[in-house]
Amino acid sequence: MADLIFWLFWGLTVASASIVAFSKNLIYAVFSLLGTFIGVAAMYIFLNADFVAVTQIVIYVGGILVLLIFGIMLTNRITQTVISESSFQKMFGLTVVFAVLIMVLIPVLGHTWTNGEPMAFQETIHQIGTLLFTDYILLFEVASILLLGALIGAATLARKER
Amino acid sequence: MNLSQIVQDLGFLTPEILLTGLILLAIIYDLFLTKETSIRTGYLAIAGMAIVLFSLFAQNVEASQGLFNQMVAYDGYARYFKIIITLATILVMWMSFQNDELKNRTIGEYYQLMLVLVFGMFFLVSATNMLSIYLSLEIVSIMSYLLAGYLKENLRSNESAIKYVVFGGVSSGIMLYGISLIYGLTGSLNIYEIQASLAANAAISPALLMLAFVLVFVGFGYKIAAVPFHFWTPDVYEGAPATITAFLSVAPKAAGFAVLLRFLNTTLTLSGDPNNIALESLSNLDWPTLLAGVSAITMTVGNVVALQQTNIKRMLAYSSIAHAGYMLMGVVVMHHNGVSAILYYAGIYTLMNLGAFFVAIYIKNAFNTETISDYTGLGYKAPMIGIAMAVFMFSLTGLPPTGGFVAKFYLFRGLVGVGDTFIWLAIVGLINGVVSLYYYLRVLYFMYFKEMNFPDVYHRAPLQFNILIVIIIIPLLFGWMIGDPLSTWTASATSFFVP
Repeated sequence: MADLIFWLFWGLTVASASIVAFSKNLIYAVFSLLGTFIGVAAMYIFLNADFVAVTQIVIYVGGILVLLIFGIMLTNRITQTVISESSFQKMFGLTVVFAVLIMVLIPVLGHTWTNGEPMAFQETIHQIGTLLFTDYILLFEVASILLLGALIGAATLARKER
Repeated sequence: MNLSQIVQDLGFLTPEILLTGLILLAIIYDLFLTKETSIRTGYLAIAGMAIVLFSLFAQNVEASQGLFNQMVAYDGYARYFKIIITLATILVMWMSFQNDELKNRTIGEYYQLMLVLVFGMFFLVSATNMLSIYLSLEIVSIMSYLLAGYLKENLRSNESAIKYVVFGGVSSGIMLYGISLIYGLTGSLNIYEIQASLAANAAISPALLMLAFVLVFVGFGYKIAAVPFHFWTPDVYEGAPATITAFLSVAPKAAGFAVLLRFLNTTLTLSGDPNNIALESLSNLDWPTLLAGVSAITMTVGNVVALQQTNIKRMLAYSSIAHAGYMLMGVVVMHHNGVSAILYYAGIYTLMNLGAFFVAIYIKNAFNTETISDYTGLGYKAPMIGIAMAVFMFSLTGLPPTGGFVAKFYLFRGLVGVGDTFIWLAIVGLINGVVSLYYYLRVLYFMYFKEMNFPDVYHRAPLQFNILIVIIIIPLLFGWMIGDPLSTWTASATSFFVP
């Protein structure tokens, strides 16, 4: 049963991701991104990473996707915009893609990856909170400087030069 | 990690804490300034960086440390690169005051973003955990995108920023995939634990290790602009504000080399101790040969394409690619001499490349041209500018008696000193040196030999600019006289932290 649900979400992720990539309509692309995000969140749940799964939904579905939709709604004439996704040198591109795919797949599939012992589900939020303020406190603070810099930069780019 | 450990480790981060304070101070101070007075944020930033520089010199690095659960290292190696980065920042900020592109606009954020960029580089050069490497790499990248696009109304600046974002985003995604493979193989993000795990497990197939290494190298290679990850370089360098171009071509590149060298010599060696005189790569991963190839291609592509450039900024962009290729020669030798040669080269390269860019910026300001053929007769019209450019071009080529010659000499000595394996690379490097002679000296040809006439009125550069140039030229011309630089001023710089 769990396997079936897993492959269901796998299908949802891949199918909606391909709509994002191949759809010529921006609205369709954005809405099918919803499926991709939810599918990925489900993968996290399968990995017992409850916190990451919730974060994925809150940040990506609740934040980024809504932002994208607002961006589309507030942009004039965006529905008439022709997305130029015409590809050139298709044969060459396909050859490179398959060569890379094979170069990645063969070594990765050829290795016997060690599987950890299957564990009973434990909530991770408590552990993540403790780790963030002990072992990873420095990176937590460094990340805050990154966000501060990104904030300044975003404000600078958005500001009207007087 | 408990609280007392955190407090104790914080004591080793004085420069970073000062820098954080400076960033916050610059943001708050800027609130009280208008467009006309916003340049004062720059004065505050440059004064603060001077204090950071002092605090770096005050650090006693004889006993190296791993800080915060070995997230970052406190050692002479990191301090050396932090000093280079701080010096480069001070010089670039000084030049920014005189860059006409940045006049008549709100400029406070320019300096704030630059300070955050420096903060990222400080952590990048000392990072000893894949997570801290990735996080600081992202700080450096994101701040670089923002600064490259700082001239919002300038289409070229926009283009450079968007190209930078696209290339940077893709390469950091690829790097993350590589890191995830390494994590899957070893179960750790700490570079010392990764090394121990990889060295103990020789059964991992070479193809898989090579795949993981190549994917991770995409991230580093993009930062140091090695071929084939260099495509962003010319457009970004041409479109970004000229002072930022100068900065990007030296500081993040030096930081990229710092973290690459630490990662390679610690994680992918048999002993895992980069302090050893000679190192051996992992038995199932022959990365030196791969990087030797990258080095040869990088310098050849950089030099050959630089030959065709007519714009000075694009020419210097390709030449900086070539220099990344030269510095990679020091990486492949896996010997103490190679490490110290890279350290020395990074210092000299910072000075000479900044100098060449500064002169080009000044010429753009005063004579409004970036085309090399328009430099005709400048050597006579503006003697000081001509002489300065001559010194920088000779040094970039690697001609004696400049610092560039000494730096290149050490690189080649390191390469030849380890035997015959990489003789071919040394020969490629020498041929490339000759090729680069053509385009560097072409600048001087236009300045001095295309037209020879002495004007009645000489162009005089402002005193502020002359002082800046003299400060850069003196160590380039006379720095090598103070004894063997490798044994004196980079001695402590080659000491790495090892747990």
